[in-house]
Amino acid sequence: MDLLNNLALGFSVALTPANLGFALLGCLVGSLVGVLPGIGPVPTVAILLPLTFYLDPISGLIMLAGIFYGAQYGGSTTSILVNMPGETSSVVTCIDGHQMARQGRAGPALAIAALGSLFAGTVSTAIIAWAAPPLAKVGLSFGAPEYFSLLVLGLIAAVVLAHGSVIKAVAMIILGLVLGMVGTDGNTGGTRFTFGLTMLVDGIGFVPLAIGVFGLGEVIANLLSPERSRIVITQRFRDLWPSREEFRQSWPAVLRGTALGSILGVLPGGGATLSAFAAYALEKKVAKDPSRFGKGAIEGVAAPESANNAGAQTSFIPMLTLGIPGNAVMALMIGALTIHGIQPGPQVMTERPTLFWGLIASMWIGNLMLVIINLPLIGIWVQLLRVPYRLLYLGILMFCAIGVYTTNNNPAEVLMTAVFGVMGYIFIRLRCEPAPMLLGFVLGPLMEENLRRAMRISSGDPMIFLERPISLALLLASVALLIVVALPAIRSKREEAFQEG
Amino acid sequence: MTIRSPDSATTPRPPWLRILARRDVLAGLMFMAVAAVGLWASRDYPIGTAVRMGTGYVPRLMCWILLALGASVALMGLRESDEEGEEPPLRWRPLVLVPASQAIFALTINDFGFVVAGLLMIAIGGLANRESRPLEVVASAAVLVFSVWAIFVWGLGLVIPVWPGG
Repeated sequence: MDLLNNLALGFSVALTPANLGFALLGCLVGSLVGVLPGIGPVPTVAILLPLTFYLDPISGLIMLAGIFYGAQYGGSTTSILVNMPGETSSVVTCIDGHQMARQGRAGPALAIAALGSLFAGTVSTAIIAWAAPPLAKVGLSFGAPEYFSLLVLGLIAAVVLAHGSVIKAVAMIILGLVLGMVGTDGNTGGTRFTFGLTMLVDGIGFVPLAIGVFGLGEVIANLLSPERSRIVITQRFRDLWPSREEFRQSWPAVLRGTALGSILGVLPGGGATLSAFAAYALEKKVAKDPSRFGKGAIEGVAAPESANNAGAQTSFIPMLTLGIPGNAVMALMIGALTIHGIQPGPQVMTERPTLFWGLIASMWIGNLMLVIINLPLIGIWVQLLRVPYRLLYLGILMFCAIGVYTTNNNPAEVLMTAVFGVMGYIFIRLRCEPAPMLLGFVLGPLMEENLRRAMRISSGDPMIFLERPISLALLLASVALLIVVALPAIRSKREEAFQEG
Repeated sequence: MTIRSPDSATTPRPPWLRILARRDVLAGLMFMAVAAVGLWASRDYPIGTAVRMGTGYVPRLMCWILLALGASVALMGLRESDEEGEEPPLRWRPLVLVPASQAIFALTINDFGFVVAGLLMIAIGGLANRESRPLEVVASAAVLVFSVWAIFVWGLGLVIPVWPGG
């Protein structure tokens, strides 16, 4: 059995003391930022990215992945206890989770959220192990035209499935592509958009851009909006364990949430948030008595919490097999790989099997750790909710600066980060999602390279993209997606889906 | 982020300015401005042909697309308003002092080491928030500088300047 051998290899990597330690560290940091409002997984992964450069690539990836799915766990805690989602993917959990807490059933709500997440994490880890090799094989057979069309489809899908205005998101992608072109052009040796500044000759660094836009931009936004008061439900968690009746109600919801999340996570632009919203909507639809929702229905906790974890995990599939990030965290992971000198793409699995399977195995271990971290230690996390933002942001500022600086020991990059921070705030203010820009920035060089190669193959005839059947199919799918989202009926449905609750 | 500020109903602005200040209009103008700068900067880049693309081929193509997209975003904003809720008022402290804190770090780190640079950064960063309390900022600065030293210098063994002249 190939699969078993591969998993055995993965566990042999993930179970080394060092890697277990980094998985635990990632899970702890993830839970922490999931609990703390005002900082989420994207800025955290961005800020801690430079730290991983001094680690083994696999240890670094294990830690970053732990932060990402750990945040899904931590986010549910604040949703249930404080009615304030630590993460966008836990927004729907507030609706019924907090009602349960007010009825004195916070314990069961937290337990179901954690156990549902563990189940979803286990299933989706298995799905990754099973689905990734064949997908990578498909990816390996692609030529330049197919790859270019796949990148187009990936970017378009990321836009369509993300929330907010589609046309603004497309513009943000192009903006990211343009930013990615700054510096020396590898093909012709000419410089582009450097405006005579030497610090731009090598291009814009991934780290200053990500940390500036996601880290500093959010600090500015948070400091400009008044701090909200938090009322923590401070009851004792006598009955952590759900009742038999609650178990009976939740397990079908967990199954449905896991299935839905696993599917939506694979799609570009999908991932945790979309999965959670869709799972909640589905539960309301299939429920015998939909009026229970919003009044503390345990399915309303079980389904989205399972779904967001499943979605978070399966969103690794396109990143690991095709080198195409579906969301901002995956784009950051791609950045981490590139900085380690690993070209992301289908060849990662065959050329670096320990990295690939080690990461997958560590995800399952991490999920197990998270249940242990979160359930018995829930009191500690609740205490952390009291950390005021006026202290938290100072730490963020410090880690932004030192993180960028240590990447290349280059102060100019810290200056660039400051500029991108202001840019990041402008994006937040104008409701321009920065995630598509980061995707464009990461994929831009890859797209240009494949476009050039395709054009050389076809002697400059753009029809090559339409003559190759796979490329044509991918492009048609992109056009279909854009048309579908432009239809008024679907547009309102899409907006509805993101405004549930 | 739809936090309503209590003092949003200040001076009434003329209608044309209110339309111009709509999010989508501003976003569209921003995209168009970036595209225009890009097109201007790349005016002399060799374009080449589709087979042998020059330095300017793809960048100019992207800038033209960005210009068109920006124009349509701006037009959409002129046609209909999508405003829900007021934005928090722009205050200069976070807007100026957050980037300034990073800038002071960048300008001092190589000559004065990260202890000085870090303390200066936290001092300026602390001023960025009206709710900061002086004692807390001082305490955080000490804790943060020490933890950065512990993680990066002691833990990871990085060679970064710690003290002035070192």
